[in-house]
Amino acid sequence: MISLKKVWTVAERDIRMFLRYKFLLIMRAIWFVSQIALFGLVVNRMFRPDVQSAVGGNYFNYYAAGIIITMLYSTTVFIGYDIYEEADHGVIEYLLSVPVSRKELVLGRSIGGGLRSFLYVGPMMLFVLYLIGVSNVLQLFAALLSLFLFTFGVAGFSITLAVSIKSSDRFDILMGVIDALIVRLSTTLYPIAYMPSPYQGIASINPLTFAADLFRWGAGLESAALVPPMLAVLSIVVFFSMFTFFGIFLHERKLEGGGWQ
Amino acid sequence: MPPIIRMVNLTKKFGEFTAVDHLNLEVEEGEILGLLGPNGAGKTTTLLMLTTVIKPTEGTAFVGPYDVGQEPDKARTLIGMAFQEPKLLWVDSPWDILNWHAKVCGLSAEERKKKVRWVLEQVELWNDRLKSVHAFSGGMRKRVEIAKILIQRPKIAIVDEPTAQIDIVGKHRIWNMLRELRDEGSTILLATNELYEADVLSDRVAIMHKGKLLVCDEPKKLKDSIPGGDVVEIALEKDITTAALAKLKEIPRVVNVLTIKQNQLKIYLNQAEEVLPKITEFFMKERLQVKSIRMSEPSLDDVFAHYTGLTIEEAQRE
Repeated sequence: MISLKKVWTVAERDIRMFLRYKFLLIMRAIWFVSQIALFGLVVNRMFRPDVQSAVGGNYFNYYAAGIIITMLYSTTVFIGYDIYEEADHGVIEYLLSVPVSRKELVLGRSIGGGLRSFLYVGPMMLFVLYLIGVSNVLQLFAALLSLFLFTFGVAGFSITLAVSIKSSDRFDILMGVIDALIVRLSTTLYPIAYMPSPYQGIASINPLTFAADLFRWGAGLESAALVPPMLAVLSIVVFFSMFTFFGIFLHERKLEGGGWQ
Repeated sequence: MPPIIRMVNLTKKFGEFTAVDHLNLEVEEGEILGLLGPNGAGKTTTLLMLTTVIKPTEGTAFVGPYDVGQEPDKARTLIGMAFQEPKLLWVDSPWDILNWHAKVCGLSAEERKKKVRWVLEQVELWNDRLKSVHAFSGGMRKRVEIAKILIQRPKIAIVDEPTAQIDIVGKHRIWNMLRELRDEGSTILLATNELYEADVLSDRVAIMHKGKLLVCDEPKKLKDSIPGGDVVEIALEKDITTAALAKLKEIPRVVNVLTIKQNQLKIYLNQAEEVLPKITEFFMKERLQVKSIRMSEPSLDDVFAHYTGLTIEEAQRE
């Protein structure tokens, strides 16, 4: 039996911890501003009308929505780095010893890891929504709920990798590679129509594509979406469930204190 | 009453190395059981298996009615642990750590507010409650770790070297807290490599070495049980030879001789008043001038030496 109170207690701890990494938060915010105010604006001017129409009429809006998804992704995977920080200080052992089940621990961490990212990216998201101009609030609300699930799934993914690899250096390198591939092989930054066909196949099953589609759909950029919203939601539910299950499995069957590099 | 902790052939291997080797030990409800042994004896590994932080390779342990392998979540509801190395993140403050710990242990907001304050005052960290533990000394960090079990008041409190790096006044304070915890109904499993701590605090002492349990009993009974109940410590002007040492061991009623240094011996014997003149005569014959003679009661170190042939210090160096 899972206690929601305990799940929330674990999640709350992760949220609180994240807000203390002030340097990281400031740097990520600067990165976001430069992506929008420099890269987005300049690249938007470079695109021909046919490209602009392929992304719903305005590449800047398409790009700004995609950047929000990459921000959500990159700040959510930070939970994996937290696990290494905790392993260095023995806090993993402490967390494994408290009266919380492994299921509650993994769920709490996934929710905490996702929610804190949502809270952090929230103001930037509002800014982008303001720039795009939202037309349907209900649609936006549905998209945001799905994006919550998306971040929980990304957190579960990061937790699963962290506890499987047990080496912060390898994790860091792997996350760098995954970040490069998962972002670039998705529709977060450019439309699928301009990708070589092998890339299109990968992009069409990439969770970041579904998340970006949903956000654009919620923001009223329906024409830029690749798949129907229901399919995107379903894919995100599968993504979340899969990595939550892996995370729980690893915590219950494999994870022990000690042995971290 | 059935034991509150029962270890049955509890074993943990890390690759080829056996950290805990078929440990069979029972802990009675309401007692303080001292787990005594040098570093590397397997004490911490045993405690980590009981708290379900690591999994046994073989055998199991029952915490209350729960098998740690089968029902780890339930086992953890009975246990609270203060780790040997404080488990704290640099961004944390004692207030945050204890408040979260109290919350995860199920204390209400009202209870937390009172108890966290009370515990922080008890461990003399109230004035530093909002500072980052990053700036804390080893002793202060240790007090935060101990505070966790004081706030939790678990049915079984597991404390791993609770007074390491703590000054003598602090040690007495923590010992009293642990005694109070026991008097309020908690069972305490205390891992230590400090002989005096095990002696003064434990109702029973289990001595471990190289992952194995050597003996477990009340400290007094352990000390009384070793043959050669009298201990004579002799310091010599010069080093003793191997041949002379062998002869010394042959003196009737001399049970064992431990060489602390080549000119410093610890002799375990029976009926010291009769044997001591023979020993001094022996040294005179061997032209070994005696610098000092001191008689003492056997300690837990002597019990350890009886079973292993080493003092705890020597075993630690090994």
